[in-house]
Amino acid sequence: MTDERIRVAAVGYLNARPLYDGLDREPASARIRLDCASPTEVARRIAEDEADVALMPVAAAATIGDLRLARGGAIGARGAVRSVVVVAERPIEDIEELAVDLSSRTSIVLARLLFRARHHGREPRLVGRGPREAIAHVGGARGALVIGDPALAIEGRFPHVLDLGLAWWEHTGLPFVFAAWCGRAGALSSEDERLLDRARLSGLDRRDAIADEHAARTGLSPASLRAYLRDAIRYDLGDDERRGLERFYEDAASAGLLPRTRVRFFDDDAHDAARRPAPTASLDGLLARAEEGERLSAAEGERLVTHASLFDLGLAADAVRRRKHPHDVVTYIVDRNVNYTNVCTTSCRFCAFYRPPGHPEGYVLSREVLGKKLQEVVEAGGVQILLQGGLHPELRIDWYEDLFRWMKREYRLGLHALSPEEILHIARLEGLGVRDVLERLHAAGLDSVPGGGAEILVDRVRRTIAKAKCTSDEWLGVMRVAHQMGLRSSATMMYGTVDTVRDRINHIVKIRDLQDETGGFTAFFCWDFQHESGTRIEPGDHGTVLYLRQQAVARIILDNVDHVGASWVTQGPEVGQVALRFGADDFGSVMFEENVVSSAGTTFCMNAEAMERRIRAAGFKATRRNVHYDWLTPPA
Amino acid sequence: MTLDAIRQKMKRGDRLSFDDGVVLFRHPDVVAVGQLANEVRERLHGDRTYFNRNMRIEVTNVCVASCLFCSFAKLEEGAPGAHTMRLEDAWHELEARMDDPPSEIHIVNGLHPGLPFSYYEDLLAGFKRIKPDIHMKCFTAVEIHFFAEHYRMTHREVLERLRRAGLDSLPGGGAEIFHPEVRSRISHDKAIADQWLDVHRAAHALGIRTNATMLYGHIETFEHRVDHLLRLRALQDETEGLQAFIPLAFHPDGNGMKNLPAPTAIDALRTVAVSRLLLDNVPHLKAYWVSMTPEVAQIALRFGADDVDGTIVHETIYRAAGSRSPGSLTVEQLVRLIQEAGRIPVERDTLYHVVREHPRAALPEAAFKVRERNAAKHLEVLP
Repeated sequence: MTDERIRVAAVGYLNARPLYDGLDREPASARIRLDCASPTEVARRIAEDEADVALMPVAAAATIGDLRLARGGAIGARGAVRSVVVVAERPIEDIEELAVDLSSRTSIVLARLLFRARHHGREPRLVGRGPREAIAHVGGARGALVIGDPALAIEGRFPHVLDLGLAWWEHTGLPFVFAAWCGRAGALSSEDERLLDRARLSGLDRRDAIADEHAARTGLSPASLRAYLRDAIRYDLGDDERRGLERFYEDAASAGLLPRTRVRFFDDDAHDAARRPAPTASLDGLLARAEEGERLSAAEGERLVTHASLFDLGLAADAVRRRKHPHDVVTYIVDRNVNYTNVCTTSCRFCAFYRPPGHPEGYVLSREVLGKKLQEVVEAGGVQILLQGGLHPELRIDWYEDLFRWMKREYRLGLHALSPEEILHIARLEGLGVRDVLERLHAAGLDSVPGGGAEILVDRVRRTIAKAKCTSDEWLGVMRVAHQMGLRSSATMMYGTVDTVRDRINHIVKIRDLQDETGGFTAFFCWDFQHESGTRIEPGDHGTVLYLRQQAVARIILDNVDHVGASWVTQGPEVGQVALRFGADDFGSVMFEENVVSSAGTTFCMNAEAMERRIRAAGFKATRRNVHYDWLTPPA
Repeated sequence: MTLDAIRQKMKRGDRLSFDDGVVLFRHPDVVAVGQLANEVRERLHGDRTYFNRNMRIEVTNVCVASCLFCSFAKLEEGAPGAHTMRLEDAWHELEARMDDPPSEIHIVNGLHPGLPFSYYEDLLAGFKRIKPDIHMKCFTAVEIHFFAEHYRMTHREVLERLRRAGLDSLPGGGAEIFHPEVRSRISHDKAIADQWLDVHRAAHALGIRTNATMLYGHIETFEHRVDHLLRLRALQDETEGLQAFIPLAFHPDGNGMKNLPAPTAIDALRTVAVSRLLLDNVPHLKAYWVSMTPEVAQIALRFGADDVDGTIVHETIYRAAGSRSPGSLTVEQLVRLIQEAGRIPVERDTLYHVVREHPRAALPEAAFKVRERNAAKHLEVLP
């Protein structure tokens, strides 16, 4: 029998426990299935419809968009909260660099708003650090934003402390809401809401016991924790809290830090339905905000891709492109895609290129063959090699290191090599960490990391089309490390298998989230699954019109990624050119060869002259670029 | 004159001028021009998008004309690659398809100096014998004019005799670019603009419907294109006999202008859009997928076009000029191509009577599943 209980996810922090404490016991447990997880994971489950309702941070709720709140309970503060603080050795206004946990978006946005409000728009530079390193980082003009248990553990240690709950209270005269029960419209009935509220009331009664249990586990002072749960954290969600949350959303949207968000409760829909259809922001308004560069939520992205006309999307994406690149220049790169091996252990169902180990058609390119290809690139004025291959079970890291050193020594081309999947494969093979692998390869000549293999960064989709491949988090994790090391990368999306509109938007938003953290992505490219002989999966959503819409929406949502490239290799030079008017500012690569897509039947070639002619015919100037999108030739 | 001014003008119901046409062709934002054309298209046809089951036959490529853009015609009988079909072989093309027959046969040929006029009459009659209700859309105005001169008849006499033999309508080919500055250079030895227009005028007077084309993207200017479109608009004001306008992209392989690049997809979409806007009196605008590839034709369905032509089956003229479009599409592929554009596929006969209206895709324009897609993509190597 399938479990038909409501899937409830909650942040497993101490201050959340009074809200969900009773939910895993009768009678609530007959109706509710409770799971605790990290804030990021809880938000992911709501975004990907793996949970119905979640106790989640309010910034994550804004990013998903169009969620409803349960009335009654939330995690907030009226004044000092104690567990969300900025600490420093010097006065707070002297902080120039602030170490933060980059995944903790709500407290970061709150900190940035308060810094801007208190210091005339000035805010410190943010650097990502784990909690322990963040605290160790404090000194001189370096402060840290510390949250949760670590914040309680360092109470009294630093001479200068800004309690963000108190600062918000002083700034606005309103409570602050850190987290609330959220879900998509219709996810909770009023009866279910009463269940949550009853759990809250019984949880509030057990606050001392919860504090004592936590104290026993962590070694923190029981008295301090009891006071924390009784006095600092407020579990109400009344009119004041609602106004506080609305103010936060308003300020964050105006500052461009979060998508514009309205606070709506589950029962608002029922009330609205009784009176008139629920008011939704007009599509025109949404498009106008997109053109202005406002950050859109995932839900707004879904609305655009589903309901906006092709022209409205094209014109809005073009406006975004023009704002980012006002010179009407479209770039392209002269490089070569070399697939060093087709031997691969993952057997993805959409791939016609790979051969399993031991297959007679498996190959690893010899130095001789590689050298010939590289020499051709040098002679054609090329600037880089895009080197990717299958997951070969016998190629060890020293093979790559030798190869990279030889390539760098002999040909001096940029080395844009090894997608996250290959990095992870080498790490597993060698028993090394991702950072170790990347550092060794970087030392051997790796310049940047291609964004291939992202497919759709939603694990439900990945498990269907590429079971053996890394998870979304692993893919993003490799990119995070690469970016932290200063390596730039691109990001891609291959849609059109089992993915839905929501999956594709979630994919794009995950890239935007990581980009907020690292700023390491240079560009985004998307294309649809190329269905041909050798692939073993049915195609899903397709068509050139859809391609243009998808690319346009990506341009609109990815407000923090500089470049969007048209994938003419998959769409053909004709559609690729049209895509330049739908938000793309890059025409990709002159094609010497490419084996993966062409194994699936798509083969186009285009030389530099033909690329430039198409760029100009689309109304732009053309210039060559390198992997950093620097212009190498005067635009013409 | 800005796009907004043109939009206002259209709102007032004023006709677009020559200058408006040039402004539209030169406007940097093809998407904005397309949006304007799409408004007209949706006002005329909503989401309905037409196609038919047709087959193309080219019975001879022997041709006395020497058009620079042509990769199809061979000048003389007996020249390498020259061929003229025996009537039986031409008829067999239809007989072989009678299990799933087309509703239209579309015949376009070279200007063969050595055939008797009866060859063409017999050709038509033979098809009608095999399938009496087949629609014969045959012979461009250039051929009709050639017949008139070669066999010493008037346009009207040629048309009347062919109609008796089975002719139902005329295709729109041979129009190329009307303006003499261009026409005298690219096709100096065939019907001039007025002769082409006269043939269509004569056909319309007999109640024979016709289409019209424009071959763009070679040596002509935007002004030449606008001039071409306005000549067609004037003819249509007079006769109302044109059913559809079909912009044809120049393809350079193997012809006298092979040093020119082919027009790009952006130019194709722009030409569809501006044609839709200028030809306010021609009901249909075709995105001829053979000329622009099925992928770009799909986009064109949102830039002013309401028709994708048909299944084609056997096209040789564009193939000879290096088109990488597939040789034919099935009805299922055409239906899907239209659905993927968010439109409603409508199978029509040649005269735009509805044969069958297909459902639109279940989900909106952007999001629907298709079961199978034959992405027939071919090698393209550009110089």
